[in-house]
Amino acid sequence: MIVAGRGGGGEGVRLVLETEEAMLLSELADQVDSVLLLGEPDDPALGRLLPSAYPDDAEASAEYTRYTRESLVDGKRQAAQRVRDATAAPAGSGVVEIELDQSEAWGWLTFLTDLRLILAERVGVDDLDDDEPDVDAETRDDYLRAAYEWAGFVQGSMLEVLDPTDG
Amino acid sequence: MTATLEELDLDLAAQGAAEVPWRAIVWDDPINLMSYVSYVFRSYFGYPRDEAERLMLLVHNEGRAVVASGHREAMERHVQAMHGYGLQATVVRGEG
Repeated sequence: MIVAGRGGGGEGVRLVLETEEAMLLSELADQVDSVLLLGEPDDPALGRLLPSAYPDDAEASAEYTRYTRESLVDGKRQAAQRVRDATAAPAGSGVVEIELDQSEAWGWLTFLTDLRLILAERVGVDDLDDDEPDVDAETRDDYLRAAYEWAGFVQGSMLEVLDPTDG
Repeated sequence: MTATLEELDLDLAAQGAAEVPWRAIVWDDPINLMSYVSYVFRSYFGYPRDEAERLMLLVHNEGRAVVASGHREAMERHVQAMHGYGLQATVVRGEG
C-alpha cells in the first residue's frame, strides 16, 4: 500500500493498493454497509456509529434520533459504498490506483473511522460466555484485530498527506 | 431611532436569557486517531490549528471538551456532524 500526494500540486491523496488489499477493503466496506442497512437496533456496533446525543434524557435522545438517523445512515452508507465500488473487482494488473480529491478523501476517512468502530466492537464480543477457548473465535478475532490496525494505518497515512504537520 | 433602541434593549434581554447556553461536547474514545480528531475540528469548525490541537488534547487528556456553545438547534447540528465523522458527541445544557 502506497499513500501519496497527488501530482500537479492538486489537493487530495493518491492510493496504490495491492490487489489483495483492494479486495479486503471492498469486502470490509460491504460489511460496514450491511451493518448500517441490516443492523439490529440493539447491535452495539450501531450504537458506536450512531450514538445518543442525550444519554441522560431518553425523550430528547429519541427525538434527536428521529430527526438525524436517516441522514447519518445515508451519509455513512454512501461513504462505505464509494469505497466498496472504488476497490471492487480490480483488474489483474497487480495494483489498484485510486485518486481522491479532498472531498472524496473525507468519505474514505469517515468510512475508515466507522470500520474501526465496528471492528473494535466486534473483537472479543463472544469471549464473555466462552468456557473453553474457541479456536474459530480466536482466529476470527486475530483477523479483526489485523484489519483494525491496518485501517488505522491507512487512515493515519492519509492524514499525513492531507494534513502535514510540518508545514 | 427609538425603534432601534428598543430593539437593542430586546437584544440585551435575549442575551441575558441565553446566559445558560447549550453546549456541544466531544468525548474521548479509544478508537479515533488524535490526528483525525484534530483534523475534524479544523475542517468542520474552521478552528486554527492551535485551537483544534488544544481541544483535541482536552478530549484526549480530560476525557471531553466543549467544542461549541450557543442555541440548542445549532449544538444539535454540530453534534450530528460529529456523529457523521464518527466521534462521540453529546448536547448538554449549561456548564455541562
